[in-house]
Amino acid sequence: MSEWIVRQKIRIPFQYTTGRALTRFLTGLAECRIWATRCAECARVYVPPRSFCGRCWREITEWRELPAEGEVMSYTVRPADPPLILGLIRLDGADTALVHRLGEVEPEELERVVRVRAVWREDRTGSILDIAYFAPVR
Amino acid sequence: MDRHPHPESREAVSREETTLRVPFLLDVEYRYAVGQYGRRFFTELRDHARLMGVRCPECERVYVPPRPVCGICYHELHEWVEVGPEGTIVGWTVVRIPFIDPMTGEQRPVPYGFAIIRLDGAATSLYHFLDETDERKIRVGQRVRAVFREKREGSLRDILHFRLLEE
Amino acid sequence: MPRRVAIIATGQTKHAARRLDVNIAELITEAVTRALQDADLTMRDIDAVLLGNMEPFEGFLFPELWAVEGWGGYMKPSVKFNTGGTVGTTTAIAAYYYVASGIYDTVMAIGFQKQSEGHTQTAITTVGDPIWERSVMAGAIGNFAVMATTYMHESGVTEEQAAKVAVKARRNACLNEYAHLQMPDITVEDVLKSEMLAYPVKRLDMCPQSDGAVAVIFAEESKAQRLAPRPAWIKAVATAHEQQYMGDSPKRLAEMRSLIAASRRAYQAAGITNPRRELDVAEIYEVASFAELAMYENLGFCERGEGGKLIDAGVTELTGELPVNPSGGVLSTNPIGATALIRVAEAALQIMGKAGRRQVEGARTALATGYGGNAWTDILILSREKP
Repeated sequence: MSEWIVRQKIRIPFQYTTGRALTRFLTGLAECRIWATRCAECARVYVPPRSFCGRCWREITEWRELPAEGEVMSYTVRPADPPLILGLIRLDGADTALVHRLGEVEPEELERVVRVRAVWREDRTGSILDIAYFAPVR
Repeated sequence: MDRHPHPESREAVSREETTLRVPFLLDVEYRYAVGQYGRRFFTELRDHARLMGVRCPECERVYVPPRPVCGICYHELHEWVEVGPEGTIVGWTVVRIPFIDPMTGEQRPVPYGFAIIRLDGAATSLYHFLDETDERKIRVGQRVRAVFREKREGSLRDILHFRLLEE
Repeated sequence: MPRRVAIIATGQTKHAARRLDVNIAELITEAVTRALQDADLTMRDIDAVLLGNMEPFEGFLFPELWAVEGWGGYMKPSVKFNTGGTVGTTTAIAAYYYVASGIYDTVMAIGFQKQSEGHTQTAITTVGDPIWERSVMAGAIGNFAVMATTYMHESGVTEEQAAKVAVKARRNACLNEYAHLQMPDITVEDVLKSEMLAYPVKRLDMCPQSDGAVAVIFAEESKAQRLAPRPAWIKAVATAHEQQYMGDSPKRLAEMRSLIAASRRAYQAAGITNPRRELDVAEIYEVASFAELAMYENLGFCERGEGGKLIDAGVTELTGELPVNPSGGVLSTNPIGATALIRVAEAALQIMGKAGRRQVEGARTALATGYGGNAWTDILILSREKP
């Protein structure tokens, strides 16, 4: 029996509302500052920040600024030219990790990279991409 | 450190200026296998401008779109019969509210006539366009006829629209 | 034998066109927090959490994943439901099954939607079959309108009678602090003169698009009696699903087969023979004014073709013989993934005597419905008496 395949697409615009905690986080990025929240009960420091700790089921009200530097927990390389390197980065003082790009580094050097710092873009808009990438601290 | 609205806080509703809205586009391409019953329907439509249904041997309903099983009798369906191209309006409207067509991301032009049409010989109905946008000229029970495109590609849009018949 | 189950608490957000002050997780937390407060429980007391949402109306899939800490599902048994308009009642009925089975004692059902983030008319078109329906579908409103003309033709219902339903809903909504569209001064004339969207449906005939969330807590008998002064017992639940394509049931309003089947099953299970007399209040899923009239007929509140006369006679007004949607209904508040669960919550509030200014005095038996998907129906009957 022969096939009959229809090619189609779905194309719909959306708008995501960032809400209480993420709004401050994104606004902070435009000023080269990284904001986190800390749960008073479990002491977990969340970045990106959230306004509510789902584990303890309580509101979070404590804000703290984190340094734009931390450890690479893990990474992956997507072959491309240049290769796209993604890292899981835990900022100093945080209990959660951010996914972001790694730059100023070759794939074969990644094995030795431990510490990274944020490299900020000049034209910041309040987006996670205000951090251009994280670069190794050498 | 920060004025943080409590979940119970009612004033929170008006604090829109402190919120960011991040626009994004859901843009997904996919392939859909029409299946054997659809293949036969669309081949007939494309090559012969003919509309086909399948008849249930038990309840004798003729189904359009054609399908492998009668959902009422659970009987396999194999008997193909021609339906239409004329039919009757079961329900109708003239769409005047613009909305984005999910298949293009663009607004579909309005107004357009839209109807549920029971093709002659079929027990079920098809949704399709009408060639009329004047609400005063359309009614339930009115006879219509499918207008086929000259150049057909094997899709439901090979029917350009249904034309209202004079009575 | 299923165990006895009751609703012991509810929580709703303030529903609005746009809740830009919160993201999705924060919105859900609001409703969940209120439900827990209503029962004086903490999240630790909840054995399982069921989440309802219509994807991808916000453009995301797996909201249960990325909003989990907002809805209390972290490390708990949980399932996400997505059955279209019925999702709220599907979630409620699932919560009932969870408790009735004897496996869980206290279960929370949650529904939410943030319609301000997407395009409902567009997203709803993607529910259609890709080749048979999607290319010719006319959004929720166009699809509804073609059914409304059939119904008008079959029943003789007029645009004025439908407008009365729209007026009743928005006036009732003024008595409900959570409702989205509150219009104390709306008139039949206002509805008839509002913008024509798709004949015969005008802007004020149609439900709004809302942001909102709701949470409802279900408990087994001994817990229910301990935790709630007057629990709303689940007397009957029923569901019925229609056929494959939209055109398979062309008279979807004039003859709502799944609504007839599900309601008759539920009436039988609850021992109801005359719903108009034996029900005290109904919270039904009417996405448009015309649908409510058709539902009167198909739910057996009146004879076929008499839906318009029922609204003319004021039977379904808050002060009438059988008040329908004292909350303001879907016509006033429609965060889709929450909407049908709001019907259940509002029906429960009536039984519990906690409906405030919209309370139907002495309500003992209440009906809640969900309608959507491809003409699917869910029914719940709640009662002050144990089943």
